[in-house]
Amino acid sequence: MIVAEQKPLAEIRQLLGDAQKVLIVGCGTCVTVCFAGGEKEVSVLASALRMMSKLDGQPMEVDECTVQRQCEWEYIDPLRDQLEEYDAIVSLACGIGVQAMNERFPAEITLPGLNTTFLGLPEEQGVWEERCQACGNCILGITAGICPIARCSKQLLNGPCGGSQNGECEIDPDVPCAWQLIWERVVELGRLDELIEIQPPKDWSTSRDGGPRKIVREDLRLAEEGK
Amino acid sequence: MADLLDEIGLGGERVAMVNLSSAMGPQFAEVVAEMMEKVQELGANPLANEC
Repeated sequence: MIVAEQKPLAEIRQLLGDAQKVLIVGCGTCVTVCFAGGEKEVSVLASALRMMSKLDGQPMEVDECTVQRQCEWEYIDPLRDQLEEYDAIVSLACGIGVQAMNERFPAEITLPGLNTTFLGLPEEQGVWEERCQACGNCILGITAGICPIARCSKQLLNGPCGGSQNGECEIDPDVPCAWQLIWERVVELGRLDELIEIQPPKDWSTSRDGGPRKIVREDLRLAEEGK
Repeated sequence: MADLLDEIGLGGERVAMVNLSSAMGPQFAEVVAEMMEKVQELGANPLANEC
């Protein structure tokens, strides 16, 4: 899932400037699951902004709503008619949701209420860890299902490096060495011979190095009228 | 919650969470008395009549 966390309240308040009527829009997907921008978080932020603005002497009217997925037109289109009445909109979705709102409703300004942090999973209750960097060329098939791109601090394809000490990464003893994990797993699976092969430099053109990415599936596209 | 109240500007000390069992009556009374004293020192909630 996309993992995010809420911006400090003071920053959101500053982004809102002189806005008097504000709509907070949550998202019912990833950010709900990571407790950053679902219905509950929208409600808490709305109450906080109401109280904060009253204490500031500039009371704000704050409305709330949460859509199922803020990153798809069909889920945000129903908001269109109600947006005009607001001075500003705060999105509690990931950066994709914020941009979807701004792209679909260019006459209104939608501000980010979250910092989108990474693609990851809940390691335990209340703890999320990064697992994928969306590099566009998955190598999990040759690394025993553990990603060194997301989890090795140096993104090594042939690890571990000399900074691996007792299974920990040199950057922080709380960060496990991804290559130690990979090594232990291949030994356990009896597939150590597969790891001996030296991997060539990674083709990063499928990642951000190739610029913004796009996928076109002609088999899924709808035919244009008249064609 | 206390952190959020601090961020809002209401004062995080207005809220406290204490774990007590049902067999701890005297301690409960003590904690409530301490909280009452603290809240009285802080004064009225500035938003009491507005929210």
